[in-house]
Amino acid sequence: MNEHSNTINQEDLPGDFAIWIFIFAEMLAFGVLFVAYAFTRAQNIELFNASQLTLSRTSGAINTLVLITSSYFVVRGVESIKRGLNQQCAHWLTGAFLLGGVFVGIKMVEFQAKFAADITMSTNNFYMFYLSLTFFHFMHVLMGMVILAVIIMKAKHGGYSAHDYVGVETGASFWHMVDFLWIILFPLVYIIR
Amino acid sequence: MNNTKAQSNLFFTVIWLVLAVLTIMTFSLGEAGMAGKGVMLTLLAITMIKSQLVANYFMGLRRTKFLWRAIMFGYFAIVGGLITVAYLMGLK
Repeated sequence: MNEHSNTINQEDLPGDFAIWIFIFAEMLAFGVLFVAYAFTRAQNIELFNASQLTLSRTSGAINTLVLITSSYFVVRGVESIKRGLNQQCAHWLTGAFLLGGVFVGIKMVEFQAKFAADITMSTNNFYMFYLSLTFFHFMHVLMGMVILAVIIMKAKHGGYSAHDYVGVETGASFWHMVDFLWIILFPLVYIIR
Repeated sequence: MNNTKAQSNLFFTVIWLVLAVLTIMTFSLGEAGMAGKGVMLTLLAITMIKSQLVANYFMGLRRTKFLWRAIMFGYFAIVGGLITVAYLMGLK
């Protein structure tokens, strides 16, 4: 009659609640920067549009595809550990980690091109926002990769189970936040004009 | 059980494909050099769909209390709304 009586209550946030405090704080910080970018742009439209044309939209788009694919791999990793499959979880998360490395590589090439052209945060307001937003995000990708690496090592040693995977969900939530923020950053800084 | 697992994996794969297609649409609008209020609103609408797909399905918030989903949607509504206001200010 009551077929849902044994269902586990999944209404809580996935992973450790503490990571969500961190996630909401990071989202707030990025949100303020996104809005500050938009209002500063409104005062300097020609400058922002001209500077935006110097960015590689292709790099930005590839990096977006890389991050959403890595997020998908993380989802598959979480689904694997929910069935107690530590090795399969480690394999999916390793794929996500490697894609994080691809993102970092592409971003470093982009930064290198700007620095080679003597572009710095002092060049103009657009580059100040572009460099600070993307570098701030870049640091989060690196932090996410460190978290993924720790989870991968633990999963490889059978450290999780179908009943104990909070650590995997915690790391996954952080990685998805990195993806979520880039999904807003890419069109805002690279595309919208 | 295996059927449920396969359906779950297929579902997440479809979400990933939708995200990829929406990313290519965003890129294409940029490459076409399109600008203006309509294009900006289209790009923001695409971004809103993408961000909510990630929040609800990849982060798994669709299974959680309404409050958490409301925070994620409210975040985009406020940030996206202010970006729209700033953009419209720039048109004047």
